[in-house]
Amino acid sequence: MAAVRSDMTGFVFWRLVGFAPVLIVALVLTFLAIRALPGDPVVVMLGDRSSDPELSSLLRRQYGLDQPLGVQFLRYVTGVVQGDFGLSYRYAGTPVTEIIADGLLISPVLAAAALALALPVGAIAGSFAAVRRNSAADVGVVLMLVLGLSVPNFAIATILVFLLSVKLGLLPVAGWGSLSQAVLPVVVLALPTAAYIARLSRTFMLEVLQQDYIRTARAKGLSERIVIYRHAFRNTMVPVVTSAGITLGALLSNAFVVETIFNIPGLGRLAIDSIFARDYPVAMAIVILFTFLFVLINFMVDLAYILIDPRIRASVVARGGRA
Amino acid sequence: MKARWKQLAAVCAVAFVAWSANATAQVLKINLDMDPPHVDPILYQENISSRVLRDIYESFTWSDETGANHPALAKSWEPLTGGRTGFRFFLRDNAVFHTGRKFTAKDVKFTLEYMLNPASKAGNADLLQTIVGAQAVKAGTAKDLEGVKIVNDLTIDVEFTELNPSFPIATIQFVDSEFVKEHGAEWFNKGSAGTGPFKFSRWQRGSRVELLAHDAYWGGKPKVSGVTYLIIPSPETVLAQYDANELHVADLQESMFGQVFTDARYKNQLMSGMRASLYWMGMNPEAYAPFKDKRVREAVSLAIDRDAIIKGLFKGAATSFDGVVPPGLNGYTNELPKLAYDPARAKKLLAEAGYPDGKGMPPVTITGWPVIKDLVTYYAAQLNAVLGMPVTPNIIERTTWIKSANAGELPFFPSRWTAAYMDPVQFLDLMWHSKSRFNRAKWKNAEFDSLIERARVTSDNTARMALFKQAETMVLADWAGFSLPVPVTAGLVKPNVKGIKSSPSGYLEIRGATIQ
Repeated sequence: MAAVRSDMTGFVFWRLVGFAPVLIVALVLTFLAIRALPGDPVVVMLGDRSSDPELSSLLRRQYGLDQPLGVQFLRYVTGVVQGDFGLSYRYAGTPVTEIIADGLLISPVLAAAALALALPVGAIAGSFAAVRRNSAADVGVVLMLVLGLSVPNFAIATILVFLLSVKLGLLPVAGWGSLSQAVLPVVVLALPTAAYIARLSRTFMLEVLQQDYIRTARAKGLSERIVIYRHAFRNTMVPVVTSAGITLGALLSNAFVVETIFNIPGLGRLAIDSIFARDYPVAMAIVILFTFLFVLINFMVDLAYILIDPRIRASVVARGGRA
Repeated sequence: MKARWKQLAAVCAVAFVAWSANATAQVLKINLDMDPPHVDPILYQENISSRVLRDIYESFTWSDETGANHPALAKSWEPLTGGRTGFRFFLRDNAVFHTGRKFTAKDVKFTLEYMLNPASKAGNADLLQTIVGAQAVKAGTAKDLEGVKIVNDLTIDVEFTELNPSFPIATIQFVDSEFVKEHGAEWFNKGSAGTGPFKFSRWQRGSRVELLAHDAYWGGKPKVSGVTYLIIPSPETVLAQYDANELHVADLQESMFGQVFTDARYKNQLMSGMRASLYWMGMNPEAYAPFKDKRVREAVSLAIDRDAIIKGLFKGAATSFDGVVPPGLNGYTNELPKLAYDPARAKKLLAEAGYPDGKGMPPVTITGWPVIKDLVTYYAAQLNAVLGMPVTPNIIERTTWIKSANAGELPFFPSRWTAAYMDPVQFLDLMWHSKSRFNRAKWKNAEFDSLIERARVTSDNTARMALFKQAETMVLADWAGFSLPVPVTAGLVKPNVKGIKSSPSGYLEIRGATIQ
């Protein structure tokens, strides 16, 4: 057992070491890609009258844009290592960390809320459909599934906003700050995930219902309700909940789109605005942050697998922790 | 015990509802396309910050919805005597800063010195370059701006090395000197130091900017308790939020005109007006040889059907004028020769210039930025069809466009120019003087230059306007450039909101708003 634990430590260690190249590659690619875009941040700052040579060169000097690309990169990396992401170009004189802090929690909160909604809704709908396989209810659920997975979220958002906000006036069109403003974004974000989870639940449930232990339970004379809820549903949920972790990453990137649709000041919208405004430091910081977050989520999922599934754990141990 | 808590909760709820109804009912809500980059009245000026700051800070004068200039912080001014060039300003005696302090000559002098300090990155500091002693303050060798002398609390002299007649109407936003000194570099984020009808209250990045009424405003207390700008980048969302009564006023982007101007629902809520802005065609003879011939330049103008553009591309929400000084400005005249659409004459002129049916013309690209891509495509197609001119449309990213245009690198380009303040100097001097940084078409005319240089130092308004008129005629006669249809300023205003005006500045005027 002690060997297993130390090998787990080894696994965690090697995984963390593996983060470094991913982050470095992301850093270099973003740095180059964003500068390869046409456009000049100083001209964006100054607008039409940007040919004032004194003001332009003052700003260029202040932001270090007069330096060669290599020097700019080194300066940037040195700063980042010390937790200094520089000053925003667009928000004159404001530190990037301050700008990002404003919206930092919004995307994760949206994603988590959507997952919290999608998981029960999807699991119940999928299992229900599986139990009544081939009934009208099943066909109905499957139809909803296909719709939920194939209609893009901006289309669903537009329809919901038109019906619920503009026509009926029940919910605000857009914005952020009150609970009512969060309802539509969370629902729109949750729908495709709910559909995905429902599909998984339906498949797993169908499989579980074929298992010997279900037949045994029925043979014991247990009521159908107990068979379904106590035995089948619980066993279905193990793989479903594990898969849900993976969807969190997708939810985070979908949150970018939903934030733009509903005008929510999260990091997703900020990233898009920053790229258009050639606000290099803010865009870079968000990319780095999200790369880190994605790597972290993947790591957690891997870890969860190892902890849940003894077979994977055994293979990790066999390789001395190098997964 | 429980009952008491319930009672308390009920009282609180009632109080909260009453309070929120009272507090929110009178706040005007209007959209803003994006966050202002800053709320510093001194820093370089750009459209979004100006939108927010224009009701917070004030200059010597302000211009109304017709473009006419009126006294604001200066009640009047007169030329300096005793052989000195400049103005003596008599300041308003009832202007009070948001901080509660009285506005005095000390604040005027402080603001001018502050703008000249390079660290302030003042966008309008070029207006101050000819004040006596400006260069020393800029270089940091002097703190005191020599040419600005405080006569008494409400009188101040500004002396120039070379007269700048438009100085009194220029946008110089005066700040409370005490407040700035007290709060240091980031003072503008810490409070409101202007004299305008509204004071800066709060900015939630990505979400909203809130202003509150300045009760002691010299022009009278505003009739709304505040203004909230909701930051909404998507024009479709603006319309949806307006429809759902989440906005009192929707300030419309040009891309929405087609939809809004043709929708009968909005007919009685639509407000639009002319904008003191010039859309013009740049033809750079240094970058495309055929443009050296005046007949080619005129032919291009004659081949463009302005009425078709207004009806087709702008759905009627645009206007056209014949000169290069737009309506809404002192010095605008409607007595100029009409800019006609005359394909036959255009062809004839082109043939006379040696290019019958466009034969012999080298290929050229007409360059614009993404927002105007439909227009650029139209110009290229129309010139191909009417003149046989080998024009290809080319759309590039906006800031690259600005750089290339200001550097004189673009051969052929539609361009836009908006007044920073309401004076023809903005459209004649800045755009066509051979030494101007903004002479994008690289047109050079010594006689024109000397007219402009005379106008720069002429303080008599009638004589000055006459010089400008003469200069404008020269630009037009030589077809140095010609104007194209200008989209209007437009907004939607809910029926219970009154007092919103469209103004030639391109901004909706909201300071007189009332909500019923």
